[in-house]
Amino acid sequence: MMRRKKSTPRRNTLPLHVVAWIVGAFVIVPVIYAVIGGFKPTNELSQNPLGLPRTWMTANYTDVLGSHSFWLQLWNSTFIAVLTTVLTVGVSALAGFVFARFAFRGRELFFTLFTAGLMFPFAVAILPIFVLLRSFGLLGNPFGVILTQAAFGLPLTIIILRGFFRSIPGEVEEAAIIDGCSPFGFFWRILLPMARPAIATVSVLALVGSWNQFMLPLVVFNEESSWTLPLGIQQFQGQYASDTARILAYLVLAMLPALGFYAVAERHLVGGLTAGATKG
Amino acid sequence: MKRSLALIATAVLLAGCGSGGDKGGSSAPQQGGSPAKVTLEWWHLSTAEPLKSLWAQRAKEYMAKHPNVTIKATVLENDAYKAKLTTITQSGKAPDIFATWGGGVLKQQIEAGLVKDISADVAGVLPTFTPAALSAYQFDGKTYGLPTDIGMVGFWYNKKLFAKAGITQPPATWSAYLEDVKKLKAAGITPIALAGKEKWPGHYYWAYLAMRIAGLDALKQAATDHDFTKPDFIAAGQQVKALADLQPFQKGFLGAAYSTPDGQSATVSNGKAAMELMGQWAPAVQKDNGKGLGADLGFFPFPAVEGGKGSINDAFGGGGGLAVGADAPAEAVDFVRFMTEMGNHSKAVEAGGVLPVLKGEESAVKDPNLKQVATLLASAGGYQLYLDQAYPPAVGQQVNDSVAELIAGTKTPEEVGKAITEVAKSEG
Amino acid sequence: MTTLITGPEAIKLPAPAPAARGRGRWVTIALFLLPALVLFLLLVVAPILVAFYASAFRWNGFGGLPTNFIGLDNFTRLFKTEIFAQDLWHLLVLVLFSVVVQLPFSLAIAMLLNQRIRGRALYRVVFFAPYVLSEVITGVLFSLILSPGSGLANHILSVFGIESEWLADPATVMPSLFLVMTWKYFGFHMMIYLAGRQNIPNELIEAAQIDGATSWKTFRHITLPLLGPTIRISVFLSVIYTIQLFDLVWILTQGGPSHSSETMAVTMMDWGFKRSQVGYASAISVVMFLLSLVFALVYQRLVMRRDLAGATTSMGGRR
Repeated sequence: MMRRKKSTPRRNTLPLHVVAWIVGAFVIVPVIYAVIGGFKPTNELSQNPLGLPRTWMTANYTDVLGSHSFWLQLWNSTFIAVLTTVLTVGVSALAGFVFARFAFRGRELFFTLFTAGLMFPFAVAILPIFVLLRSFGLLGNPFGVILTQAAFGLPLTIIILRGFFRSIPGEVEEAAIIDGCSPFGFFWRILLPMARPAIATVSVLALVGSWNQFMLPLVVFNEESSWTLPLGIQQFQGQYASDTARILAYLVLAMLPALGFYAVAERHLVGGLTAGATKG
Repeated sequence: MKRSLALIATAVLLAGCGSGGDKGGSSAPQQGGSPAKVTLEWWHLSTAEPLKSLWAQRAKEYMAKHPNVTIKATVLENDAYKAKLTTITQSGKAPDIFATWGGGVLKQQIEAGLVKDISADVAGVLPTFTPAALSAYQFDGKTYGLPTDIGMVGFWYNKKLFAKAGITQPPATWSAYLEDVKKLKAAGITPIALAGKEKWPGHYYWAYLAMRIAGLDALKQAATDHDFTKPDFIAAGQQVKALADLQPFQKGFLGAAYSTPDGQSATVSNGKAAMELMGQWAPAVQKDNGKGLGADLGFFPFPAVEGGKGSINDAFGGGGGLAVGADAPAEAVDFVRFMTEMGNHSKAVEAGGVLPVLKGEESAVKDPNLKQVATLLASAGGYQLYLDQAYPPAVGQQVNDSVAELIAGTKTPEEVGKAITEVAKSEG
Repeated sequence: MTTLITGPEAIKLPAPAPAARGRGRWVTIALFLLPALVLFLLLVVAPILVAFYASAFRWNGFGGLPTNFIGLDNFTRLFKTEIFAQDLWHLLVLVLFSVVVQLPFSLAIAMLLNQRIRGRALYRVVFFAPYVLSEVITGVLFSLILSPGSGLANHILSVFGIESEWLADPATVMPSLFLVMTWKYFGFHMMIYLAGRQNIPNELIEAAQIDGATSWKTFRHITLPLLGPTIRISVFLSVIYTIQLFDLVWILTQGGPSHSSETMAVTMMDWGFKRSQVGYASAISVVMFLLSLVFALVYQRLVMRRDLAGATTSMGGRR
């Protein structure tokens, strides 16, 4: 976990640990409260919010796990996130390739246009997007959300991918062309496999962005059957307002996919999100 | 059942990838042979018992009677319901059947061509309804919905706490009311519970005071001349302020919701505040959210204001009805008729979920408080629908909003009048 | 910001060998670029143009296109309202809070975790975790925790005899909102700073220490200046994010109590989707757009120009 270089004099790190522990408690106590709270009946929760439950009651969790709507929302979120990712990364890779490997008139203009998209807050466009999706007949349709998310994901993805494609030496490309590769062949068979780390980074970005998106599904989906998890959570909170423990159980279960993904793809996730930010 | 159907519907939707348009409800019954399969989308907001189960039961019965019909219910809590309904109507469609309060909001939906004129379909049953219940859904002699509930807003109070503060009789005048609030405070009792986070409960105070001071006609006139700065309206605002200045509300009321564990309803239900100004559903929601007051719960109408143009007999409130989407199949209208049939509707009345909307249904009211509400309603001199439904959405929301600011003390009565006027003019 | 990065970068880097020459070249370019371009024009550029267009109409959003042209009336009406002034004020407050409290805090934690202390990798993972959770989960969780009656926060603080109404009181709602934002986002800024710090050669710092500089002096005169580009980016992100702040506020307070935590995006959604004044709401969108644009341009010109190159290399270590 830690590499100790040379032999720097050992300092007393206790104060640092104390600070880290306090900050850690600030971060983790709310989550623990939710996890444990889900095992309590609501009336116990208000008197004893943080302690262990008197009896571990699993009904809150099993009720949620037994409800179709939770699984449906999980599926909807997954479906939308995966398609958004594939679309965003696919389309951006093509464009990034052109921006990186072709010199043509108007290239910088187009590229600037895309990068300017980074500065448009999503919220700015939500009303007209609603109006546009309405005229395309895409309201209530998962593709209304997927296409829009992909469109807003383009700028960042293109920038990151273009940067990576550029870093691949021209010799590789020349060799490929001599071997008889078409531009698409080079892109598909050589560039993309080489760009795997960058692709992973942007995919993670698109996936997490879509997974957490709230505003867009909020206005696009009316029918309960197409709700994503964030919409479901909000509605669940309204519907079971008086049953705090049950809401906590729902929250915890809704957290699991994101936290699980984080546990598995921590390196890419952190790298991607911070790289995305500094690139943005 | 409902859930798994939703699941299938989604699967179809996802597989179709482009079927978003209509909801498969537009197929008309075929001539001859067995009737075509029809799915009805039904949106309502009865998330509290007893209605929640009763409505689901009715839908089941209807489906049993009509095997070709599937009813898919979407049940949302009040605020979410209003927001979602606005969104879907703006998207250019309406659910096949949806709960409505009538008034200006329904009118805007009618003008956008989203609501079916059901005059001809329901002509036969119209005479069975009380005219007061029906009026919110009729425009220019056409009927766009049938009522399921009608009621009025008034004070629901805790008799025990009133007695503890030495109040022997509920106040009949506004000045007596303010005195009683002071007495309650002096006795260490929180006089009023209010859901300040949701703004609609607060607007009841201003609306009632405007009715009592300016009179019903003034409110109707304001809908057309967009002027809420008249002295009588300002006076109503000043009285709201006078009440708010007594700091009668529970601690943290600005952030309180209506039906949460810390909310307005629960606060009264658990005896932590002496009263709330609320509609006929208050007892049901109280029971749902807290211990309930049982026999200690009482009702009194909003007091008269001395020298005001309105009378204590004028009632303010609303009920709820069912309207039918413009493209809905004929079965949707049939289901609305089914829901409001005497035999079916009176079950909901008996359970204390709604008040009578049909003539001769009064005897089904069991709860003494609700009986009182029904009697007051029947003898009401005039009737005003909730302002946030009677006026177009933007104006109604502004009333809610401005009154909330008045209660929070961030706006003066004059500023409130001006703000509402400005929005009303912008709708013009 | 990358808009401006492209300029100098394009000159510096030698253009890679063109992938193809001849007639097929333009076909390839067009085919590869087209999907992105169509998607982008249709769903990013067009909506913003539509917002500009709709903002000049009185329009309830139902059906067809708006017809009731009213010029700039929506804007004059907006600028007169107190809510808009409040929205701007809240934006300013949150940005100030972020710059003065949240970012220095994140920086301090980043510096702490840059020390060789046991378990720092674990700390890092934990501190960043809230950023992965959605705004909705965060919002709902904290609305329960900060509930005045039965919430966890008051329960813990009651030990010290403190009680607050948190989100329910106009006086405390903004700090409470900021607390939640800090919980969710400090780990993210911490990671950016850590990445930036790792690009500073350790030799520089060690040299300073050998010269006898104290930790604070080393930080003040070497680390901090070299982190400049990273810090400027994190400020930029913070501001752009705050301009469009919506999800958290919508879930936590809906802008209340009585508008005391309302943001522009909340006002916009309120008028657009609850009150059916889509023209007026579009005017708010346009103002948000112009605000972001002006801020981005001015910030890049005045603050970030000198370290654009640094910006692009701050993540260099990752690849």
